[in-house]
Amino acid sequence: MNKRRTLAVLAASATLGLAALVPFAAQAADPVKATLRLKWLPQTQFAGFYYALEKGYYKDEGIDLTINPGGPNLLTENLVATGADTFGLSGGTDSVMAAIDKGMPIVSVGVSHQVTPFVFVTRKDGPVKSLKDFEGKKVTAWFTGANYVLFGMLANNGVDRSKVDIQPQQVSVTPFVNGDVDVATATWYNELYTIKQRMGADNLRTFVAEDYGVTFPRDTLIVSRKTAQDQPELITKFLRASIRGWRDAMAHPKEAVDAVMKVAPTLDRAHQEFMLTEAYRLMTAGQAKAEGLFWIDSKAIQATEEFLLKNKVLTKPVDVATAFDGRFLQTIPVEERRP
Amino acid sequence: MSNAAAMFRSAALTALRGAAAILIAAALWEGVVVLGNIKPYYLPRLSDIVMSIIAVPDAYITGFFRTMSETLLGFAMGVVVGVANGVLFKHSRTLRELIFPLFVISQTIPVIAFGAVVVLWFGNTILAKALIAFYLTFFPVTVNTLNGMDAVDQRQVDLLRSFGATRWQLLFRLQLPAALPQIFVALRLACTLSLLGAIAGEWFGDTTGLGVLLLQAMYNEQVIALWAAILMSGLLGTSFYGLVALAERRVVFWRSEL
Repeated sequence: MNKRRTLAVLAASATLGLAALVPFAAQAADPVKATLRLKWLPQTQFAGFYYALEKGYYKDEGIDLTINPGGPNLLTENLVATGADTFGLSGGTDSVMAAIDKGMPIVSVGVSHQVTPFVFVTRKDGPVKSLKDFEGKKVTAWFTGANYVLFGMLANNGVDRSKVDIQPQQVSVTPFVNGDVDVATATWYNELYTIKQRMGADNLRTFVAEDYGVTFPRDTLIVSRKTAQDQPELITKFLRASIRGWRDAMAHPKEAVDAVMKVAPTLDRAHQEFMLTEAYRLMTAGQAKAEGLFWIDSKAIQATEEFLLKNKVLTKPVDVATAFDGRFLQTIPVEERRP
Repeated sequence: MSNAAAMFRSAALTALRGAAAILIAAALWEGVVVLGNIKPYYLPRLSDIVMSIIAVPDAYITGFFRTMSETLLGFAMGVVVGVANGVLFKHSRTLRELIFPLFVISQTIPVIAFGAVVVLWFGNTILAKALIAFYLTFFPVTVNTLNGMDAVDQRQVDLLRSFGATRWQLLFRLQLPAALPQIFVALRLACTLSLLGAIAGEWFGDTTGLGVLLLQAMYNEQVIALWAAILMSGLLGTSFYGLVALAERRVVFWRSEL
């Protein structure tokens, strides 16, 4: 009886020992499993990632990547902070800092859109000719970041925010098209296309954030603080494959649109081609021309931080240098990063 | 035998009537949009919607089957657990008083509030969606099973008992069969609810399914694709409901009023 028991214990410990060894052996040979959670539904705003996945660029770096789409009910920061997803393409510098302010252990390792992706649109023959004319008019904005851009533009130009009738914008641009709203928010790559299609590009007047002294870099790549500490090479490899994906996607835009439409076949092709061009324009604006894709423009981010602090989105200052960590990007030679 | 034939004939007649109604509705839809000059943004032509499905059939077919599996899985779990709960509560007053209030509380939480948590726990799996479908279905089945069993004539129970029937015999020979019409009311309810759960579950970062197609079309303002996804969901819901109703006819053959 006793002998049998000893044997059983021995067998069990041998199995456990083997089981403990297996992951190490597997890690050396097999690619590392990782996920990328997008900020929105599949579309060519993320073409570079899908293209890199299809072409096996992640596999080349030893990463077995799964791309998980985002959606209206998901917060990428949460999913990355809890470890449900390895990488995240999240809202923007504003949402990253707000999440860190709430104590979420995340770090941004790259910024995709170097300039503000939002633009404010009004009809050309309408009553709004200048930013000053926003006063007393009905303006809709998404309250997920675009509202801060609007607040910043108004403040920089001496327009009293309280005199503007600012309301949350719904999914559809129809209220604006129908004339129920004077000014609506659009992204350069998505809603602006829809509005142009339905109203004609010549009938529109746009207000560009940068013209009014506001730059809100958005579409931030994030990881958990744990990943940043324990797997810095994984992050660098992911960045290298993603940059390669984006550069090649722009060299072969048709193929890149194909890669996205394989995932979401019901998308409108013309719209997606437009989106790809616009998204890449936002990604390669500003310092990214010289410093390369996903460049972290600390000056622009610092300005955002000060603005968010002033507007009480943040309860305390965020250390921009630790929240946005450019080390992983900088181990990749700059000529490999340039667009 | 002739009974079965008659039943088949009546089922065929119902199907035929249903098809005729659908055809008339389709013709009306097309006619109203064309003659009324309705802008496609508000209501596209039915033929345009059907053409858009035919243009990329794979997306709609894989979406249909994915959502169908989630729905069926959630429905099956809900029915099994629901009926078992009903039986359990019927036999144990204590359990009923202990657990039933918890069920009621769980049902007052909107399912959409759970969606993000379910994704955190189970990821983009079929199981995650099936669980949401299950969550919506088990409760009505529990309640209706319990009600149906409660409604059994006590004199019949006494009669069987006087002949020495065991608890199990009572359950399978009298109480469950007597509760069947009531249970089927819940099943018909559950088939639409489980579809709803599956579709809502897909709104949390999934890649395939009718819910995904609905979401993509809605946020990209592709009205035709939106209607295409609605039609496919309707097709799935109606066929499922039809099958359950057919099963009801077969199983609850003594219930002539339906």
